[in-house]
Amino acid sequence: MELVFWLNGSEARAEEVPGHWSLLELLRDRFGLLGTKQGCGVGECGACSVLLEGQVVNSCLTPAWRAHGRRVTTIEGLAAGGRPHPLQEAFVAAGAVQCGFCTPGMIMAASDLLAHNPDPDQEQVAGALAGNLCRCTGYHDVVRAVRKAARQMVEDGS
Amino acid sequence: MSLGSSLQRVGAMARAQGETRFGADLGKPGDLFLACVRAESAPARIRAIDLAPALAIDGVVRVFTADDIPGSNRLGIIAVSKDHEFLARQVVRQPYQAVALVAAETAAAALAGARAVRLELTPLPGVYHPAEALAEGAPLVHPQREAGNLLASRHIVKGDVTAALAESAVVVEAIYTTSRLEHAALEPEGGRAEYIDGRVVVWASTQNPHYDQADLALFLGVEPEQVRVVQAETGGGFGGKLDLSVQPFLALAAWHLRRPVRLVYSRQESMAATAKRHPFVMRYTTGADERGRITAVKADLLADTGAYASYGLAVTMRAAVHATGPYLVPNLEVTCRMAYTHTQFCGAMRGFGVPQVALAHEGQVDALARRLSLDPLEIRLVNALGPGQATATGQVLGSSVGLRACLEKIGPIYREWQKRPPAQGRWRSGLGLGTMFYGIGNTGVSNPAGAALEWRPDGRLILYTGAAEIGQGSDTILTQLAAQRLGVDPGLIDLCRGDTDRTTSAGATSASRQTYISGNAVLNAAENLETLVLDAAAEMLDAPRQDLRLAGDLVTGAPGGEVPVRQVVRRLSRDRGPVKASGRFDPDFTALDPDTGQGRPYATYAFGAQCARVRVDTDSGMVQVREVAAAHDVGRAVNRRAVLGQITGGVVMGLGMALMEEYEPGAGDNLHSYHMPTAADAPRITPMIVQEPEDSGPYGAKGVGEPALIPTAPAVAAAVGDALGRPMRHLPINLERVMAALTPERE
Repeated sequence: MELVFWLNGSEARAEEVPGHWSLLELLRDRFGLLGTKQGCGVGECGACSVLLEGQVVNSCLTPAWRAHGRRVTTIEGLAAGGRPHPLQEAFVAAGAVQCGFCTPGMIMAASDLLAHNPDPDQEQVAGALAGNLCRCTGYHDVVRAVRKAARQMVEDGS
Repeated sequence: MSLGSSLQRVGAMARAQGETRFGADLGKPGDLFLACVRAESAPARIRAIDLAPALAIDGVVRVFTADDIPGSNRLGIIAVSKDHEFLARQVVRQPYQAVALVAAETAAAALAGARAVRLELTPLPGVYHPAEALAEGAPLVHPQREAGNLLASRHIVKGDVTAALAESAVVVEAIYTTSRLEHAALEPEGGRAEYIDGRVVVWASTQNPHYDQADLALFLGVEPEQVRVVQAETGGGFGGKLDLSVQPFLALAAWHLRRPVRLVYSRQESMAATAKRHPFVMRYTTGADERGRITAVKADLLADTGAYASYGLAVTMRAAVHATGPYLVPNLEVTCRMAYTHTQFCGAMRGFGVPQVALAHEGQVDALARRLSLDPLEIRLVNALGPGQATATGQVLGSSVGLRACLEKIGPIYREWQKRPPAQGRWRSGLGLGTMFYGIGNTGVSNPAGAALEWRPDGRLILYTGAAEIGQGSDTILTQLAAQRLGVDPGLIDLCRGDTDRTTSAGATSASRQTYISGNAVLNAAENLETLVLDAAAEMLDAPRQDLRLAGDLVTGAPGGEVPVRQVVRRLSRDRGPVKASGRFDPDFTALDPDTGQGRPYATYAFGAQCARVRVDTDSGMVQVREVAAAHDVGRAVNRRAVLGQITGGVVMGLGMALMEEYEPGAGDNLHSYHMPTAADAPRITPMIVQEPEDSGPYGAKGVGEPALIPTAPAVAAAVGDALGRPMRHLPINLERVMAALTPERE
């Protein structure tokens, strides 16, 4: 099948995409966007989280065809104007990145949360990230980073 | 400057932007894809392997079996217990054992080929529990072994335990068990290999590239120089990437086919085919006087290594050494045995047996406190090891003994919790404490690290280290130590890490050893580099050598004035080539006596104490860990943020061990069925750093990677026990165990 969609703000076209492909396969194997990780392949770990029409999805469970005509945002598309996204800055500053394998998915899930809730409390952050497993940080600094980014984004008016 | 600050983690922004390429991300156009053929049940004899159906599939290039292994098919980290067959030759010893390896032009063809290989297996009688494995007449996992199914046995004795127990005011006895656990690093094992000019080069996620090189050379029957291993960026390890996983398969295929190959384990494969944490059964008898001072401990530990030895010998020894906990115990007798079974092999996992024994030694201290009506915090302070006191192995501790300081740090929080009103209605609340100690580095053996530093003519430096960065932070810590010693900005230091062609061995990233051991090796390299530069500067300035010193980017102290370091380095490199110095460190130790287990197995120990506050839903059995306070004596925090991150990560992994994690072979083998903590399970954590400097440590530092996890499960178990009014001695404390504990009073 042929897919045309918006990928990180630009029009993207993919030809002869196998019908059984997941969005994750499309992103990694066709577009070489390796920032989206495969941790389990069954929607349990959240490492493959991307935004589809602004909503976070597990790309390993999302059929590639669902991207057709829609907007897909991956970790590579989050930075704007040559600057990292406030979430990326906050994750680094707060020590929320250890091995970093879960980080892109975690940041994508957090960006979905902040788009709907600009000032989440600790429990809301933890709830929104409950689908993203991390084995290194104990989530403590991840939650701190998301709240720090939220404050920064309110300040920036973004 | 650099030291003690929260310098931003090396490589963090690249990770946050998705630019970092992990082992599982490696690949180039034209790579062949590999897939393993695995036997689903064990034990079994292999009657036949029919490769023809796989070879008939379009895209399949070749299928390998054990007959294609040019060298030794018996690998493993410990030289005297190498027994891991990477492709089973005649017998399958554990479920999901690899039997054949398919190489194909596409991932789909490789998987189709792996499915098409026909295995004919004859089931054999198996043994699945360590106690059964040691019984007379049990089926043997490795029939050629003289010791049968007994992998290892260690004994530690001191004083007269029988007499001391007889004279004790109180004696408590109990059995504790822990479950088989999966590391579940978020990155599955993965990598890539190429055949280049008569050598195999392997890039893979690993915790020990230099060991990988040595065993891959054995596997291929070649010299180590014919194998180059480069540590790929590694997405978590926790001990699970210490054993070889994908590397032998990559090396074998690249060697034979002379083509680049790649392999990433599926999550199922990662869970089913790599090491687990050893389940332990622990029988303890502990005596104390009327004031709660421990008089004697008798501990009998039995662990299951599964089908292969892996790190079993190390875990047996370390569990025995730590079995009596961070307490002064004058009389003790510890026996730790480990047996083979036909189950998934167990190996290293964050703590090497110490998290298991901590459940028992803490449970026993709480049992003594209950019998004597003592406060749990008080009894720990009464028994805590201090400077000048001897451990179970007779090692007299030096200055860096921070257990008391850790207990005092969490004390006020624990006391405040004690004053809170108990939970109401269907909820019960409880509090618990846990303590730990942990010997830094390998047990009673030499375990050196090398490192090197090069000053470049442009003023930048290169730090060469074999120490694998797996997310724990060694890249950052070693950079900070080098920067501190040389007085340069950490931003001037580039890393060359984990490449057997370019770095010397630093030993494994395990045993919480890299800050202490590689850290000291880096300081040694820095000292040697400084000598090189100052010697040259003395010549250039015609100044007395002893007057000169490094001050930032200048050499100062000469009567005639200063000279920029860069100028000295340029001169040196022009005259003599690269300005590079190496360093080395091997911790001070003595081997343990084989009969009594007495000796000084480690140069230094980390200490810690945690307390947990839980509430239990008596309707559902659900346990909520509300808060954990965790204080850890790390000697000196090289990077505060990194230490705090290790502590919070360890606490949550320990919480998983306490409440939910249990690997059951075949039960899905994915993260649906293996429950680990999510952000919603994480409690409020107060991580605290205690610094009792270690004289032999780099600027006083020890280590914290494993220690952070160890006290959590005992503290949570004690808190649940406190809530339910009965001790919880078996992990995980899942819904069923909580409901069973509540049942008697419902009847």
